[in-house]
Amino acid sequence: MPTLTIDGKTVTVPEGATVLQACEQAGSPVPFYCYHPGLSIAGNCRICLVEVEQSPKLPIACYTPAAEGMVVHTTSDKVLKARQDVLEFLLINHPLDCPVCDQAGECWLQDYYMNYGLYNPKFDEEKVKKPKAVPIGPTVMLDAERCILCSRCVRFCDEITKTGELGIFNRGDHSEIGVAPGKELTNDYSGCTVDICPVGALTDRDFRFKCRVWYLGSTKSVCPGCSMGCNIEIHDNRERKERPHVAQGARVMRLKPRYNADVNQWWMCDAGRYGYKAIDEQRLTTVQHRNGHGHQTSTWSDALDLLASTLRRLQEARQMDRAGVILSTQLTNEDLYVAKRVAQALGIRNVAVQGPARPGRQDDFLMKADTSPNTRGAQALGLSLDAAGLFARAARGELTTLYVCGPDVIEAYGQAAADQVKNCVELFVYQGSNAGGSVQAAHLVLPAAVYAEKDGTFTNDQGRVQRIRPAFAPLGEAKPDWQIWTELAARLEVPVSFTDAAAVFADLAAREPAFKGLTYEIIGDAGALLKA
Amino acid sequence: MSSTATLPSASTLEPLRPEAEQIVARYERRPAAILSVLHLVQQRLGFVSMDAEAWVADLLGISVAHVHEVVTFYTLYHRQPVGTYHLQVCANVSCMLRGGEHSLAALSKKLGIAPGQTTPDGRFTLSTVECLCACEHAPMMQVNDTYVGPLTPEIVEQAVAHPDQLSPAPLAFRGAPGLNEPVLSARFTTPGSEQIATYVRDDGYQMARKAVTELTPDQVIAEVTKANLRGLGGAGFPTGKKWAFIPKDTTQPKFLVVNADEGEPGTFKDRYLVERDPHRLLEGMIIAGYATGCRKAYIYLRGEYVRSAQILQQAIREAAEYGFLGKKIFNSAFDFEIVVHRGAGAYICGEETALLESLEGKKGFPRLKPPFPAIKGLFGCPTVINNVETLACVPALLRKGGEWFAKLGFGRTGGTRLFSLSGHVNRPGLYEASHGVTLRQLIFDHAGGIPGGRALKAVVPGGISAKILRADEIDVPMDFDSLLEAGTMAGSAGVIVMDDATCMVKALWYASKFFAHESCGQCSPCREGTGWLHKVVSRIADGHGRQEDLDYLLTVAGNMEGKTICVFADAAAWPIQSYITKFRPEFEYHVRHGRCEIET
Repeated sequence: MPTLTIDGKTVTVPEGATVLQACEQAGSPVPFYCYHPGLSIAGNCRICLVEVEQSPKLPIACYTPAAEGMVVHTTSDKVLKARQDVLEFLLINHPLDCPVCDQAGECWLQDYYMNYGLYNPKFDEEKVKKPKAVPIGPTVMLDAERCILCSRCVRFCDEITKTGELGIFNRGDHSEIGVAPGKELTNDYSGCTVDICPVGALTDRDFRFKCRVWYLGSTKSVCPGCSMGCNIEIHDNRERKERPHVAQGARVMRLKPRYNADVNQWWMCDAGRYGYKAIDEQRLTTVQHRNGHGHQTSTWSDALDLLASTLRRLQEARQMDRAGVILSTQLTNEDLYVAKRVAQALGIRNVAVQGPARPGRQDDFLMKADTSPNTRGAQALGLSLDAAGLFARAARGELTTLYVCGPDVIEAYGQAAADQVKNCVELFVYQGSNAGGSVQAAHLVLPAAVYAEKDGTFTNDQGRVQRIRPAFAPLGEAKPDWQIWTELAARLEVPVSFTDAAAVFADLAAREPAFKGLTYEIIGDAGALLKA
Repeated sequence: MSSTATLPSASTLEPLRPEAEQIVARYERRPAAILSVLHLVQQRLGFVSMDAEAWVADLLGISVAHVHEVVTFYTLYHRQPVGTYHLQVCANVSCMLRGGEHSLAALSKKLGIAPGQTTPDGRFTLSTVECLCACEHAPMMQVNDTYVGPLTPEIVEQAVAHPDQLSPAPLAFRGAPGLNEPVLSARFTTPGSEQIATYVRDDGYQMARKAVTELTPDQVIAEVTKANLRGLGGAGFPTGKKWAFIPKDTTQPKFLVVNADEGEPGTFKDRYLVERDPHRLLEGMIIAGYATGCRKAYIYLRGEYVRSAQILQQAIREAAEYGFLGKKIFNSAFDFEIVVHRGAGAYICGEETALLESLEGKKGFPRLKPPFPAIKGLFGCPTVINNVETLACVPALLRKGGEWFAKLGFGRTGGTRLFSLSGHVNRPGLYEASHGVTLRQLIFDHAGGIPGGRALKAVVPGGISAKILRADEIDVPMDFDSLLEAGTMAGSAGVIVMDDATCMVKALWYASKFFAHESCGQCSPCREGTGWLHKVVSRIADGHGRQEDLDYLLTVAGNMEGKTICVFADAAAWPIQSYITKFRPEFEYHVRHGRCEIET
C-alpha cells in the first residue's frame, strides 16, 4: 500500500495501482484518451503526462506504478504546458467539424480543449485527408479524420470480444483505424466501440443525427433483454415537447451500458442496446373491450369492474379453481409480488409465470439464453414457472377466467391452443404493453407500462436484485402492473394497497425470505444479492 | 480497391502451405512467422492480394485485420502488382548529395512514367524509397533484390535497356587507416571470406569452442565487461552490463536477438559484416548465447538485404554441418540454434522493442518500458539484443583478452569501430578506425576530402538522427562520450558530409521527409509532429516560407521531445533544431526570398 503525495495531498493506494488511479483517488484527476480501465494499457495518447519529482521526463500516469514516497504534480506549469502541446498535436489534423459531428457535447477533444487547451493554434498547413462516414458494420460509422488513434476500439475487439475485426493501418500521420478490406465489424458487442471512442470517430449508426446529446435525459436502469441484467442508462428525448421535430418525437434515443463491476463492467451486447426499439412499437395505450366483432375502447373503471365482478362471482360460487393467472418473467419483482399477494388473498391458486417463448443466443460473456430479466426473481418469490401447464388446462376447458399479464400466448403456446382457450374461457384478460398474439385472443385488453416507464427491481441470474427507474411516464393510459393489481384488489376488498414501488418492495422484503433485509437504499445503483 | 488486386485467389496459394508450415515451425508462435510468410506469398504472386491476406490470417490463426495492419505498415509488401523490374531509387540525404534527384529524373524521363507508376507494358515500376543503407554507392537504387550504384548516365541507360544485365554495386571497403591490426574488417578483402573453410583456416570458431567448453558464462561476461565493449548499434550501452542483466535462475527460455535491421540513413556497416564475414558474427553469437544462457537466436535482418540473408543462411548451414550450431555444439552440453528473420521495410524496427514486436509478427510499435527486454523481451521471455557489429567484436576480444580490447579503444569505449562515410567525400565507403579518430581525420585524411575543390560546410556524424556539426566543429573524436559533449551523438557512426554548395533547407527537407515517412504512428506527438514539421519545411523549401516558420519549427520540435514511448520523436526533432540553429541565416534567406542563396 504505497503512500504518495499528489499536488500536496497525501494518499495511500492499493498495491499495483497506477499514478493515474492514485491521482483520481487524491481528487486530482488527470485527462486521458487511450487509457480505459477495462483494457490493456497502450500509453499512446500521451495526454496523461504528469510531473514526478526525481524523474527527468514527464511520465505517463496511466502506465507509471504508484510507488512509496512518490511526489506527483498534476497542475505544474510543466504539466499544463505538456498537456496543451499534446492536445495541439492531436488536433492539428482533426477536421474541427464539431457543428456537424454527432459526438459534439460528449467529445473528449472538446472537453479537454476547454479544460486544458485554449492555446493559440500554430498549425496552418493542409490537413491529412482520410475516409469519412464509412459504415464499417451494421452498427458503427467511422470517420477516420476525427480519430485520434487511441486504439481503444482495436483493443476492445482484441481483448474483450476476441474477434479482432479492427486494426490501425498504414503508419505515421496516415495511420487510420478500420476493418480489413471486405470485412465488417459484426461482433455481438460492436456498439461498445462507440461507447469507448472518446471522440467522433466511431458513431452509432442508429443514434447519429437523431438528437443532440445535450437534449438527452438519462435514467439509470437495467437491460431487460436477458437474465444477465446489464446495468444501463436510458437516454431519452427529454425535450420532445419543446422540440417535437427531434427524432419525430420518439422517446427513447439510445441505451448506454452503465458500469457495474459485478455484472457487465463497462459493456453491453448489441441485442440489448438496440432492443429499446421494441419499447414503443405497437404500444397498447388504451383499455379495450371486445363486444361482438372487435375491440372497442373502454375505460379502466369499466374494465376493472368487469374483471372484479367476474372474479367475485367465482369467489361466491367457490369456483376460484376455475380462474387462472399467467404472469411473466418480464415483470418486476414488485409486479409479481403484488399479483401474487392479491391472487393469494382472493384464493386463486392457479398462478404461474411464463418465461421467454424461445431461448436466445448464449455466449460466455454477457448474453444469456434466458431472454427475460426476472426469472430468478419469480423463482425467489416462490412462483410456479409451469405456465404452459396452466394454459393447457385452460385449453382443456378447466378454466373460465384467464388473466394473462405479459406473455404472448400465441407465441408461447401456438395459435391452436390460443384459439381453443379463447373459445372455452368466459373471460380472457390480457394485460400487456405491446400488441401481440395475446391481444387477438383477449376479451379485455389492459395497457401496462414497460420497464422504461416504471420503478422497481429485477433479479438477475446471479441473484442480484437491481433497480430500474422510470425514464418517462407510461404512454397513454398504461399503468404499472403492480398498480393495476392494487386497483383490482381495491374493488374486491382485498387489503393490498401501495403508494409506490418502494412501498411494494418494503412489504416484499418483509414477507419474502429470499429478499429479507433488502431495501432500495441497500440495492442502490449496483444492486444487492438475494439471501442464499 | 482495384479489381486486379483480387485476381489471384487463395487456391493459388494452397501449394505454398507446406513451405509456409516449414517457416512457421522456425518460430515459437505461429503469428511470428507473418513477415516471412508474406515474403513467400509476395514471391509467388508478385504482391499481397486481399485473398492472400485472408489466407495468411487463416494459416497463422490471426484476424485478417491484423494481417492487413502488417501489410500496410511495412513498405516492402506491395498491394498492387509491380513491374517485372522494380526500380527503387533512394531518395534520402546521401543519395541526394550525390545527384540522386538527377538519376531519378533521368529514369523517369526514359521510362515515361512518374515515381509510383508502372510502364504500360508492365515491365518497369519506378519508386522512390527511403535510405537503403548503401550510401557508399550513392546515388543508388535497388532493382528487384539487387543494389545498383553509383548511378551514372550509363547505368541509368542500361537499367532501361538491359535491366537483366545490371551488376550489383561493388564493395566499397576502404581499409583500416591508423590501425595496426583491424578487429572487424580483417577478413573483408579475403577471397571467400564468407565461407566457413576460410574462417576456420583463419582460426575461426576457436573462441566459441573455448567459451563453450572451457569457460563459465560468468567468465565470458567478466571478459566482455573488462573490454569496455559498448553497443555499436548506436546507443553505446555497455555490453557486459547488458548480458549481466539476463536472469540466471529462470525456467523460461531466453533469446538472443541480433539487431541487423540496419536503417539509420548514412550507415552501411552491418551489411559488410554480414556479407564479408558472416562467421565472425555467428561465432560472436554463440559466445553471447553461451554467456547469457540463450539457446535460440534470431537475426533480425533488414528486409532489403536479400543477398545478406542468402549469405547468412549459407553460413548457418555450414556452421551446423561443422557441429558449431545445433545440438550439443563442440561436443558440449550446449545447444544453440540460429534463425534468420527478414524485416519488411520499417526504420522503427531498429528500435529494440519495436524489433521484438515485429519479430513476434506485429507492427513495429515500440513497447512501453519497463519491463526491459532483459526481463521480458521476445515472447515475454528474457532477451539479449545486440547489434551485429557489437557481436562481431566478441571473438577477437576473447582471443586477445578484455584488457587488450579496452586498451585498443578510446576513453571509456573499447575496441574499434566501422565508420560509414558518404556524401561529399572523395572516397565514400566503409572505414575501420579507432573510436578516437576525429571527424576531420575521417573526412580529410581517410576519405580524401571534399570533391571538386569545394569547402566543407556541415557534417552529420552519427546517422541522420544526430545533430549536425558545422565545418568548424569537426576536431572532435568520434567516440560516444566526446560527441555527446560536442552536443551531438556517435549514433551508428554514419558520417554524412556536405560541401559548401549544399542547401541546408533541402538537406533538412530530406531529413524531415524521412522521419515523417518512418514514424510508426503510435504516440500522438510523433505521429502528428513529424508530418507537421515536414509540411512546414516543405513550404519553406518551395519558397512559401513565412517569417514565423523558423520559430514555429523550433517550438514544435521542442514540444515533441521527451513525450513519447521511444526516442524517435527526439531524433526527428534534433535535425530540425540543429540545422535551423546552426544555419539560421540561410534559412532566413530562404524564407525572405523564397529561394536558396546558394543557387544565386
